[in-house]
Amino acid sequence: MTDSANGGESPLTAPRIDSHVHVFSRASSEFPRQTSDHLPAEREEPVEKLLGEMESNGVDQAVLVQIGGSSLQYHAYLCHCLKEHPGRFRGIGLVPTGIHSMPEHMDRLADKGIVGFRLSSMGGPVDPLDPVDVRNCTTYPIWKRAAERDYVLWLYPRAVDSHVVPFLLDAFPQVRVVFNHLMVCPGEGKLSIDDKGRPHVDVAMPPMTRYSTMGLKVGRLQENTRGLHQYENVCVHLSGQYAFSREPWPYRDLADWHACLKFVFGSTRLMWATDFPWIVEDPGYARLIPILDELLPDLSGAERADIMGGTASTFLRFPPL
Amino acid sequence: MRTTPEQWKSWEEDGVLAVADAVGGDELERLRAAFDSRAAEAKADWLTGVAAGTHPAAFFDIPNAMEKGDIFVDLADHPSYYGLLVDFSKGQVCLQFPQFRTVVPSPLSYVGWHYDVSFSNPLHMKIQLYLDDVGEDGGPFAYVPGSHRPENHPLPQVRHQEDMPGHRTFPGSAGTAILFNSWGMHTSMVNLTLKARKSIILIYEVFTEEKFDPERYGFLADRLETAEKRRLFGLERTRRAG
Repeated sequence: MTDSANGGESPLTAPRIDSHVHVFSRASSEFPRQTSDHLPAEREEPVEKLLGEMESNGVDQAVLVQIGGSSLQYHAYLCHCLKEHPGRFRGIGLVPTGIHSMPEHMDRLADKGIVGFRLSSMGGPVDPLDPVDVRNCTTYPIWKRAAERDYVLWLYPRAVDSHVVPFLLDAFPQVRVVFNHLMVCPGEGKLSIDDKGRPHVDVAMPPMTRYSTMGLKVGRLQENTRGLHQYENVCVHLSGQYAFSREPWPYRDLADWHACLKFVFGSTRLMWATDFPWIVEDPGYARLIPILDELLPDLSGAERADIMGGTASTFLRFPPL
Repeated sequence: MRTTPEQWKSWEEDGVLAVADAVGGDELERLRAAFDSRAAEAKADWLTGVAAGTHPAAFFDIPNAMEKGDIFVDLADHPSYYGLLVDFSKGQVCLQFPQFRTVVPSPLSYVGWHYDVSFSNPLHMKIQLYLDDVGEDGGPFAYVPGSHRPENHPLPQVRHQEDMPGHRTFPGSAGTAILFNSWGMHTSMVNLTLKARKSIILIYEVFTEEKFDPERYGFLADRLETAEKRRLFGLERTRRAG
């Protein structure tokens, strides 16, 4: 499905949608979750705090992405938020890979309002020269179920999985796919937590993994390429700049890569997101509202409306406001 | 060899031509064996880089191959195509970089349609030498004939490579060399087989003072015995054509 097939660019009045955020409560019997140094039991980033930021910044809707564990009970707070704020959010869950009941797990979460699932590993061969048979990938049942039930897949693949992704996209062209965070695929040992408690990925931009995931020779010489992304049902988040940039906001070292993504995907396949709550302290939620003006200053009004919410509204089928 | 009228016509009108059996027989077997041996030596580092995200998974280049085998050095002025390079460059051909490249099979081409340098760049030529048979479904090189001319641009944005109007694919047997003008639009088509595509890509430009770098191939100084070879590898300046 393509929204271009449904009429092209979003109207200038498209909703503003933050297409990738995390909320979580303190760990409790009501809302159990996994804990870590990064996410201690007493920490909370509740949905009310997110709603406050959204309200202050004119953001209408958001995509809540599960954090704190993949088992069903760990999704309790996410499901609670979806239930308490109908029409405001879409939910993306996690799937424990390697268990027999992955499709059933997905269905049970879908019954509670979750529309898609985030994957960070594809489970294919590590050596790119080994033959890829997608049926042998550990995530194959997830992709198959997504195709059967029209679930969205939310991808943040590891670098070692980047070459497997096109095989899965090719096998399941009907599945709606959203690459997280500028289509970066973090390398082994390159992910850390910075001194502000934010994820940090040590990656040279443009990412080397683009040769596998993008399929076009953009990057250093954007204007020398003629082509659109081969798979129409693939979107990319314009988000996570803080994690990849070597500069403070507005992260101008990433402007060229934003332009490449715009060139290859177009505004109807790009989604703006903040990655709340990691950005609350630096740069602050409000400063991410004008980030497109900083990094993609040549967008038309309609293109900007697409990326700021029109694409997410259509692609993720948000209910009308 | 010198350029035939047909080759001149292809070069000027299309910007591309293929030389069948450019390398063959024992020479091809020795080349393939050397390529495989050097690739095997370097593979572990490549896999580590792939996992770390510092090396592309979509292709694998043997690092510093020219330092590791005379058979690779001898490809730069191979008699099966060197005369073409000399003629097309008006005697000012200069080797820039080689790529000893293995492209992994994927339903997504790793480069898509692109040109390498803009029209303001001096003439830039590439030789792509297949080390294995490459069929239509094996990720052959493809080129849009005539796209080396500015008047034929811009070309359309396409979602699928096969949709590029007027393009021509170049399947070929092992040892085939394809010579093309890098101003033109080219790509590696999708490789639908289970077999990686191995080729050697030699990149040349006409000599310019800006890119004169006698250090680049300084390690070959002892074995470049003629002035022509030293000019080809940039150890000496090429005189401008009068």
